[in-house]
Amino acid sequence: MSRPLRIALTKGRLEKDTLGLLESLGYDCEMVRNKGRRLILPIPNGNMEVVLAKAADVITYVEHGVCDLGVVGKDTIMEMQGKFYELLDLGFGRCKFALAVKKGTDFYNGFSVKTIATKYPNVARAFFESKGMDIDVVKIEGSVELAPLLELSDGIVDIVETGTTLKENGLEVYEDVCKISARLIANTVSMKLRQTEIEMLTTNIERYFAEHSHN
Amino acid sequence: MNRFDLITPEGTRDALFTECTLRREVEARLRHLFVARGYSEIITPTLEFYDVFNRDARPFPQEKMYKLTDNKGRLLVLRPDNTVPIARVCATRLRDAALPLRLYYNQSIHISSPSLKGRDDEVTQSGIELIGSDSRMADLEVIAAAVDVLASCDTEYRLELGNAAFFRELTDQLTVSKQLKESIRDYVEDKNFPALGDLLDTLPASPITEALRMLPRLFGGEEVFDKAATLCPGERFAATLDSLKSLWQTVTQIAGKERVTVDLSMVHRTDYYTGMILRGYLSGYGEEILSGGRYDKLISEFGYDVPATGFAVNVDALVKVLSKQNAADPAARPVSDVLIWAAAGLEANAIAAAETLRAKGLVTEHSLCETLAEAQAYARAQGIQNVFPITDAETEDNA
Repeated sequence: MSRPLRIALTKGRLEKDTLGLLESLGYDCEMVRNKGRRLILPIPNGNMEVVLAKAADVITYVEHGVCDLGVVGKDTIMEMQGKFYELLDLGFGRCKFALAVKKGTDFYNGFSVKTIATKYPNVARAFFESKGMDIDVVKIEGSVELAPLLELSDGIVDIVETGTTLKENGLEVYEDVCKISARLIANTVSMKLRQTEIEMLTTNIERYFAEHSHN
Repeated sequence: MNRFDLITPEGTRDALFTECTLRREVEARLRHLFVARGYSEIITPTLEFYDVFNRDARPFPQEKMYKLTDNKGRLLVLRPDNTVPIARVCATRLRDAALPLRLYYNQSIHISSPSLKGRDDEVTQSGIELIGSDSRMADLEVIAAAVDVLASCDTEYRLELGNAAFFRELTDQLTVSKQLKESIRDYVEDKNFPALGDLLDTLPASPITEALRMLPRLFGGEEVFDKAATLCPGERFAATLDSLKSLWQTVTQIAGKERVTVDLSMVHRTDYYTGMILRGYLSGYGEEILSGGRYDKLISEFGYDVPATGFAVNVDALVKVLSKQNAADPAARPVSDVLIWAAAGLEANAIAAAETLRAKGLVTEHSLCETLAEAQAYARAQGIQNVFPITDAETEDNA
């Protein structure tokens, strides 16, 4: 039980936002900010340590219990699924999943089976399944916006923040799928075996949010 | 063409040497524990009809079952669960047997997991089922056996108690669609606070929605009972709470306060539990090692209305935890005590000599080398301490 509470952070913006949050709660994240090449980084005054990982790996580490907690976007959670507790909406990393099409297209018109290009095949499939619609899903790794332009697909399901990229490529949001933000997740066994430590952290975060929500 | 003749299917693997020894030891330990409590073994077939698991109440997810067909075209599955087949046996061959029945099993289940998750699709489970009583003592007997299983592996175990009735009694008072109830169940089970909050916000606020909002937070030690008492969403809830508290108090007398916790939000999705639920955890393994509970309605789905309670232990998980504890290489091979080498023509003497040595409790190995020098070199390489050469017919008498 002496191992520090291990928290996996999604590299990049979520990492910065989480460290900002932890620092405003009084945790010393100096060593995480000056990480160099190290992969496991201590927070000396919190009996915690931070692991930096890609979004999907955060879920894998937490699910297997090698990390107790994780910070990951709802987008990755929806795509990956898995067994863990979802404790908090951290409020940052806000954006949305949306169905986007070439400007002026009436997506639902006609009887043909539609093709959707996406980086999130499970999310796309689940969205259209809830409408009782058969679709073809094409998985694209890079710029999904290209697929409708090249007429590979009728539309895309992707993360939309400002919509600028869509606009610049002559696409528009046709329908919102759902909202996304960063979530704090916990391994189911860690939650039980290290309840006090984890609840102290979540209570601190909730209290901080409550005090600053009016800003 | 790809040929898959050198690898095992995803989610399965070969177990070698020490790992097998450890697994058999764990199985023997559990078997001993169950037999000493008057439980009898039952073995059910690996193949079952799909219909056994495709029950009306909460069918087993079809995408998680390995399926095949028999020669009449009927759908079969590789057993994804051990309790359901045992319920089937109870309702059929054991229908006229005197109650209570105490049954134990040690056999594998097969679950098709999502690919590349590092999960085992074939898991060995050992467990007990106590059939024919809805008494508190029946639950306690089962819990006490679970405590012994966990304590025999690690003194730092954690046993968690719950009751499936909390969730059911709350949602019974809600007038919402079945589908919405299932969503609430999933969110409560996953302690998905944001999604649960959002969903409950769409319903008219009432003491029930507030209680549901709190339910996944109600886990931990004794303080949980006080917190839950303030929710007060009805008499039946309070009665369930009282019975869980008295159960918890008795179990703490068996296992000690620091080992036993409660979680009122345990609902066991895709499961058949109706009352008490238990889970066991060991540190160093990211999922529960042991899980079970009371299932009073399952056997009646097969036409025999009889209450039951029990639990299953994940033997593979236990082996993983135990092999982490003792640092030995899990694939290490056992070394023989004596290497017996026989000159040509004296093979029968060698076999007789080996018999004598084994009778003394030694592990013997016959040398397959042509010369004694080769045999000695082999023994050195393998770490075999003694070489026993048989060079004339007299030697065996000296063994």
